[in-house]
Amino acid sequence: MVRILNILAIAALIGSAIYAYTIKYDTIFHAETIVKLQHEIKREQDTIGMLRAEWAHLTRPERIQALADKFLDLQVVALNQIVRADSLPGKAPRVDAIGRKLEALGLGEPTNTPGSGSIIDPAASSTPAR
Amino acid sequence: MSDRFDAGFEDKATDVPVRHAGSRARVLKTLTGIFSAKPDKSAIRIRLAAWVFLAVYGIIAAKLIDFGLRPDPPQSIKRAAADAVAAARPDILDRNGEILATDVKVMSVFAEPRRIIDKDEAVELLTAVLPDVDARELRERLGSRKGFVWVKRAITPKQQQEVYRLGLPGVGFLAENKRVYPNGPVAAHVLGFASLDGIGMSGLEKYIDGQGLAELHGAGFNLTPENLTPITTSLDLKVTYAVRDELAKSIVKFKAKAGAAAILDVNTGEVVAMASLPDFDPNTPPDPRDLEYINRLSVGVYEMGSTFKAISVAMALDLGKVNLRSRIDARESLRYGHFTIHDFHATHRMLSVPEVFTYSSNIGAARMALMAGVEAHKAFLYKMGQLSRLRTELPESAEPLVPKNWGELNTMTIAFGQGLNVAPLQAMMAVGALANGGFLVTPTFLKRDEEDAKKDAPRVIKPETSESLRYLMRLNAEIGTAKIANIQGYFVGGKTGTADKIIHGHYSKDKVFTTFMAILPSDKPKYLFLTLLDEPQGLPETGGYHTAAYNAGSVAGKIIERTGPLLGLPPRPDLPTQPFPLLAKLGYAEANQPAKGGGEH
Repeated sequence: MVRILNILAIAALIGSAIYAYTIKYDTIFHAETIVKLQHEIKREQDTIGMLRAEWAHLTRPERIQALADKFLDLQVVALNQIVRADSLPGKAPRVDAIGRKLEALGLGEPTNTPGSGSIIDPAASSTPAR
Repeated sequence: MSDRFDAGFEDKATDVPVRHAGSRARVLKTLTGIFSAKPDKSAIRIRLAAWVFLAVYGIIAAKLIDFGLRPDPPQSIKRAAADAVAAARPDILDRNGEILATDVKVMSVFAEPRRIIDKDEAVELLTAVLPDVDARELRERLGSRKGFVWVKRAITPKQQQEVYRLGLPGVGFLAENKRVYPNGPVAAHVLGFASLDGIGMSGLEKYIDGQGLAELHGAGFNLTPENLTPITTSLDLKVTYAVRDELAKSIVKFKAKAGAAAILDVNTGEVVAMASLPDFDPNTPPDPRDLEYINRLSVGVYEMGSTFKAISVAMALDLGKVNLRSRIDARESLRYGHFTIHDFHATHRMLSVPEVFTYSSNIGAARMALMAGVEAHKAFLYKMGQLSRLRTELPESAEPLVPKNWGELNTMTIAFGQGLNVAPLQAMMAVGALANGGFLVTPTFLKRDEEDAKKDAPRVIKPETSESLRYLMRLNAEIGTAKIANIQGYFVGGKTGTADKIIHGHYSKDKVFTTFMAILPSDKPKYLFLTLLDEPQGLPETGGYHTAAYNAGSVAGKIIERTGPLLGLPPRPDLPTQPFPLLAKLGYAEANQPAKGGGEH
C-alpha cells in the first residue's frame, strides 16, 4: 500500500515538474513572441512613418502643379465658374417619353412584367455593350 | 631511519647559522615554524594567514574605492549611442492634417575607435564606400580616445549594405530619427528647422523644444514619434503654396530684391499662409546668420508706408477728432520747419476723410494725427501694439524702431507710415483689429478658434470705427488706389503703401518698399491679406511706376483670386445690399451704395 502511495507520489512529482516546466517554456516562448511582435510593430510603424513622409513629399502642391501643367489640359478655375448649389437651375420635370408615346398609342395600361418589383440599377444597365 | 633523517635535518639547520649570517637563521626558523606541525609553532601561521587575508581584502577595498572615485567611467556603447542618437520630435501638421514636418527612421554608421584594429585601413575602406566623408577628418575622429564616434549620419540602405560588407570590426549601425520636411521651402520660415541631433534651431521647431520637449528628452524619457502628440499649425499647406508661388512669380516679374506675403484670419488671429522670399529648404538649412533668409514678416522691420494711414484715420475717427464727413485741408503741401510734406497724388483742395484715404493723402493723414496730438498718437499706437515687440510662437522677432525724441514731426510722418519701423506681422495685427470689429488679436501660428482668440483680446477701437475703416478700405478698392485688387465676387477692401527706402541716411526716390493690405469680404471680414515687395522696379506695362498699386497690389489680387476658393470663400455674384449697417444707422447711407467714378485716382 505504502509502495503504491510512494509510486503515486513520485508520479505526481514528475507530472507536476513536467507541467511546471511546460508552463515555463510556454511563457518564455510567448515572451519571445511578444518581443518579436513588438519589433515587427515598431518596424511597421517606422515604415508607415516613412511612407507618410513619402506620400506627403509626392503629393506636395509644387509637384502636383508641375504634373498637372504637364499632363492635364486644364485651366485655373475662374471665380465666375464657382456658383452656390442653390443658384443652380432647378431640375427639369421628369419626362417619360416612352410612357407618353405608349399613352398616345393607347397602351398606357400597366402590364404584368415579370420581375417588375425589382429595382434595376440604371448605372449597371447603361453600361454600353462592347 | 626516520630518526636519522630528522637528525640530519636538524644538523643542517644548526650548521647554516654558524657558517653564515644570523638573519638567515631567523628566516629558517620562521619557515620551520610555518611548516612545523607542532601546536606551539602555529601562532605564527595564524598571524601570517591573517595578514595575507587583510592585505587581499585591503586591495579589493582600495580598488573599489578607486572605481567609485574614478571621474570618467568607461561608457558602455549603448549608453553613448542613446545620447548621440537624434531624439524623436512630434509631427507638425497643417490645419487640415497635411504633414509639414515628420520624423523618418534612418540608419547611421558609428565606430568604436578602441575596437578598430587598423584605423588607416578602416578610413580608406569607409571613405571608398561613403565618398562624401572627409578622410582626414574621419582619421582624426577615429584617432580620438572616445568610445563612440559617428562616421556618417543618415545613410541610404545601399550604402548600409556596402558598409556592412566591409566587415570592419568596431563599425556598426544605429537607427536614428531624421527630421524631414516633405514640402521643401513651403512654410520654411514658420517651421524653422531641427539639427541632425533633433534639436529645434529656429521657427516652430525651436518653439516645440521650449514647450518642454527638450526637458523630457534630457530627463531620459524614451519618446517615440507614436507617443508624441502632433502639433497642428494654423497654416494651410495648399494656400501657403499658392501664396508663395504667386509671390515668387511677381518677384521675378518686378525684379524685386525680396518679398513676403501672408494671410491672417482676423477673427482668430491665425496665420493661414505665410511666405517670405528668398527662403530656404529646411531639409538643407542655410547658415542661420545669413540675413538674406530672414523672415521678412516677423524679423524684418520696415516703414510700412501708406498702409499705416489706416491706423491714423482710425485713431482720428475713434477719438472723435473727425467723422466721415469732415474736411481736411490738403490745398498745399504741409510745411514743418525745414520739412515739407507732399502728396503723391496731389489734389490741392479740401478733402473729405474718405478722400484722404482713397487719394492716400500724406497731408491729410499728417493733419489728422496732429489733431489727436503727439501723446494721444503715441498712446494709440502703443495700444495697437505697434511700439512694442510682437511675440508669437516664432522665437525670431524684432523690436520696432521707435524714434527716440518723438515730436510733432515724427507724429506727422508716422501718420503716413514713414519714421516708424515695425514688423509687417505687427502691422497686420493692427489692421486686423481695425477690420474685425476692434479686437486686437495676437497672431498665432497654431490652430485656435475664435472664442479662444477673443478671450484675452482687448478691444482697442469702437465697432463703429472698425466699420468705418472697412467702408474706407472697400471704397478704396472700388475707386481708390486699391482698384487692382478688387476681385469681383469677394467684396475686397484694401490699402496700398509705398515707402521710400532710406539709402545712406536719405530717403531714396527710386528705391521703394511697397505693401498692400486687403480685407475680404469687407462687410464681414474673415481674412486679411498682406503682400510686400522690396525694391520692385517699374515696368513698361505699369507705365514705369513702382508704387504699391502696380506691384504689391497686383500680387495681392492674384493671391486673392487663387486662394479664395481654397480658403472656402464662395464668390458672391451680387454685392451685399447692406454691408455697413452701423454706418447707415449713424446717417452715412451713402456707405451702402456702390461708389462710382474716381477715374482720376
